[in-house]
Amino acid sequence: MKERKKVDWEKIEGIIKKHKNQKWALIPLLQEIQETFGYVPPESVEPIAEALNVFPSQVQGVITFYAGFSLEPKGKYVIRVCRGTACHVKGGKSILRFLKKELGLEEGETSSDYRFTLETAACLGACFLAPAMMVNKTYYGKLSPPKVTSIMSQYNKDKGETQGP
Amino acid sequence: MEEITLTINGKKISARPGSSILDAATENGIKIPTLCHHRHLTPVGACRICLVEDEKSGRIMASCVTPVSQDMAIRTDSPTVRRHRTNIVRLMMANHPESCIVCSRGNKCELRQVAADLGVGITGLYPMPYYRGLEQANPFIIRDLSKCILCGRCIRADHELVVVGAIDYNLRGFRSRPATAHDMPLEKSECTFCGTCVSLCPTGALSIGNPRYVGSPEKESATVCGFCGVGCTLVMGSVDGQVVETNPSHEDETVNQSTLCVRGHFAHDFLNVKERLTRPLIRKGGELSPSTWEEALNLISERLLSIKKTHGPQSLGLYGSSKCTNEENYLFQRIARSLLETNNVDNGGNVNGLSTMNAVAQRLGGSIPPARLSALEDAEVILVIGADPTQSLPVVGYFLKRASRNNGVPMIVADPRKNGLVPFASLWLPLSPQTDSDLIHALAAILYKREAFDARYIDRFTQGFDLYQKGLAAFDLGRASRSTGLESGLMEEAADQLQGKKIAFVVGQGVLLQRNGVQTMHALLNLALMTGSLGDQKRGIYILASENNGIGALDMGCAPGFLPGRGLVTDEARREYWERIWGVRLSPDPGLSMVRMVEEAEKGNLKALYVMGENPLRGFPEIERVRRAFQNLEFLVVQDILSNETGALADVVLPGAAFSEKAGSFTNLEGRIQSFESVVLPQGEAKPDLEILAQLAYRMGQADQDFSLLKIRREIRRVIPAYSELRDDPGQSWVTEMGDLGQADEEGHPVEFTPIAFAADRLRDDTYPLEGILTSTRLHLGSGTRTGLSARITGFSQGGDVELSFEDAARLDLVNGDQVRVSSKYGAVARRVRVKKDLPFGLVYIPVAFYGNEARQLVALTQPGKEESPGWMQVSVKVEKIENNEQ
Ligand code: SF4
Ligand code: SF4
Ligand code: SF4
Ligand code: FES
Ligand code: FES
Repeated sequence: MKERKKVDWEKIEGIIKKHKNQKWALIPLLQEIQETFGYVPPESVEPIAEALNVFPSQVQGVITFYAGFSLEPKGKYVIRVCRGTACHVKGGKSILRFLKKELGLEEGETSSDYRFTLETAACLGACFLAPAMMVNKTYYGKLSPPKVTSIMSQYNKDKGETQGP
Repeated sequence: MEEITLTINGKKISARPGSSILDAATENGIKIPTLCHHRHLTPVGACRICLVEDEKSGRIMASCVTPVSQDMAIRTDSPTVRRHRTNIVRLMMANHPESCIVCSRGNKCELRQVAADLGVGITGLYPMPYYRGLEQANPFIIRDLSKCILCGRCIRADHELVVVGAIDYNLRGFRSRPATAHDMPLEKSECTFCGTCVSLCPTGALSIGNPRYVGSPEKESATVCGFCGVGCTLVMGSVDGQVVETNPSHEDETVNQSTLCVRGHFAHDFLNVKERLTRPLIRKGGELSPSTWEEALNLISERLLSIKKTHGPQSLGLYGSSKCTNEENYLFQRIARSLLETNNVDNGGNVNGLSTMNAVAQRLGGSIPPARLSALEDAEVILVIGADPTQSLPVVGYFLKRASRNNGVPMIVADPRKNGLVPFASLWLPLSPQTDSDLIHALAAILYKREAFDARYIDRFTQGFDLYQKGLAAFDLGRASRSTGLESGLMEEAADQLQGKKIAFVVGQGVLLQRNGVQTMHALLNLALMTGSLGDQKRGIYILASENNGIGALDMGCAPGFLPGRGLVTDEARREYWERIWGVRLSPDPGLSMVRMVEEAEKGNLKALYVMGENPLRGFPEIERVRRAFQNLEFLVVQDILSNETGALADVVLPGAAFSEKAGSFTNLEGRIQSFESVVLPQGEAKPDLEILAQLAYRMGQADQDFSLLKIRREIRRVIPAYSELRDDPGQSWVTEMGDLGQADEEGHPVEFTPIAFAADRLRDDTYPLEGILTSTRLHLGSGTRTGLSARITGFSQGGDVELSFEDAARLDLVNGDQVRVSSKYGAVARRVRVKKDLPFGLVYIPVAFYGNEARQLVALTQPGKEESPGWMQVSVKVEKIENNEQ
């Protein structure tokens, strides 16, 4: 079992306070929490609801509606492998399979040290580079298993250092 | 406003500006199919089934969300419209599991109906149902979201009507569905199991957990809920003479419209339990054994008449019921007064707080003018005191939450704990228990100092203000602040919100059953008079009658001291009126309350008791005393629908009919008189209670009288002016003024202000250092005789825990789930404990009605509403941990 991330309550409360009693505050508030923590801690759903005078289920509804919000902490490096048509034709599937094995993660999962999160995307908009993937905001294209290994080793270099964010 | 004219399907019609095309069409008899639309919910345009075509532009639009405009020309059934509609339905069907034959929505499924109307049989699409898993861990609601068409009706019902907010849309696209916060099962969410979402779901996605029956019942009939004083209209579905499901009627003029609460929706399964009485029983050789009606009724009439002859009328007592109909209670007290010549007649509503109400109603000439619940939604300001209607009368809770959240009505909630209304309140006053009267005086004093009183109203309708204002001017606010534990700033803030407004007061059992209940009611009435808050529909005093016909039983005179129409027995003119009608002499003696009857039975003065539809051996404090008193009687008759604790002691037991098995009328807390018909026949040989009473009256010497329902109703209409509109056909009418008494109007007597006094200090008792508060929950009604037999209610694992503050729990070394013994001077209960973060320390909340209602044994047997009564609500207690090895 992955250990639950400790939540910095003071920080959350500070953000909530800032947006309290603002009209239409829910989305900007959630965005700020998401940016600060990399996710919206589920424990913050009730306090947010109370502060904004909405129901917890409504807060949850908004969080799960937008892809930009996540209720689970994500890894420091979010890897998104393309499963669009162009990439599929060029073997994107085997790249995904290879990464799954390499990281020991299934789609949507995060490693227990919160280093990597493995996701897929419908099309990364870099079809000319197929098969493609992104790590955070960086694109990598024309992938092959050895190339993936060397990319990943870059991201493993700082292992042992304190985690962010 | 100008009407708008347009044509629909070539027909010229007119409509109100702002109304939707759908509404305009419906009003003109043109049918457009819908799925996500419901007239009690905000239109959202989610399903697109209601598409129509604009003839001029060819535009296709959802008629439920498109407003009409001048000269519009609409086609509701053009080939294009049909094509689009059919495609939408085909897609829904392809996404739907093929389990129609076993679906509990049965023939009422709206998706099936729409598909049938469009002739969509086989979709011609590849079926791709999306299984989202079945959830049926709680006994109330089954969620099979693979049948969900995402119409969002459940979500809107939950947010807009009952204002709970347990569910909302989660996720997007194919995976989208209604879910709770954190996607927990319903029983781990805020859900109250009111079932409102279930009754509004167009498909089988949400259904009633029903071990008895699946599908559409053979017969559906309207009736009125048999539980609380709201009086929700129900539609009961029956199969083979048994009620199998309950739903709201969805009728606009009803109090509840599309809502219900967990009891009304789910607890009526108690109607079919094996504990139902099906034949008369007579005690022979110590055992209750079956008899014929003839034998039982003859025995009762002989015994009552002979006891009366030997010991006099005062040796007889009759206990009528806040659950029985108006007609039954009327005849019951008429038998007591005119045949048995005693005023010893009471009903269960009086020990549930209505006697406290009565104590002050006399100032208004008999009754507090009832106000309509719908008026709460546009009240100027609401003050809720001693009440958590989200638990006790949930539908009242919906009205209050809607007033606050949807209409922004300021709502002040005075309650020691953060009750279910507090999140919706504009101000919470966490006062110390039993200090409500001090708070009300303080608010009046602050308003008086600000000269915020209604001088014109005071002048016109009241007297004695001079003395009262002297009291207010001299009132010690500092002392009130100390006794209530409320900072003066908080009370000033409350006064800010009340100032210059007409106040709607909502008063619950927390006041009615407390030691200072009468004082608090007097204080409230003073404040209401001073602010001119009595008399029309946007203000007033709402008394939360906890039982369905407590008000009606009282209006019918089923109370010691009160004749029908709430005239005092001690008032000679009133007595003469009834003597003329019944052709008898009436005793001027005010008669005994049920509590007093117990005391007289103990002493051997009361010899016979007739109990109809009440179960004092479960509902009353000091049960052993009551038992001994009843054993002391020469003759005990119990007429009931269930074999219960009281019946077990009876000499004769008569099987009556539940409300669903007879016709009659109930009066709700608003004074709404609802006449209803039977849904099914009485069980076995049981009879409607009115018929039983009529046969008894016949045997006791009124052979010449016809006591049929129609006759009794005619008599009530004729002799109780407030009930002159009581209907013979099913439907509602309203209580009008109470005879020559009634409301503060120009012709009425001026209403007297009463003097101000501080509440007596709480008696400290070192052995019992905590304040125990008996509290009702939404799962049970009253003492739980009926709800305790509902398999759904008892099958639900939650509820019944005593609640303690963190501080007290820490001091007593208790954690959530520990077993504790709570004891008072009178008794003790063993319960599981729940530690609550918002509770003030020193308080212990003990839910009543669970576990045979043993919590009542913590308090003393005295009549609530008497000055000297300590009340049935609060008592000094101590709490001890029960170690595991003790269990
Ligand atoms: S569960 Fe029923 S009411 Fe709720 S969205 Fe689905 S189909 Fe509509
Ligand atoms: S049962 Fe009532 S409280 Fe629960 S989700 Fe449905 S509407 Fe909301
Ligand atoms: S118990 Fe009261 S609130 Fe609930 S359904 Fe019945 S009448 Fe309505
Ligand atoms: S298909 Fe992979 S980037 Fe477009
Ligand atoms: S009924 Fe109009 S969109 Fe659903």
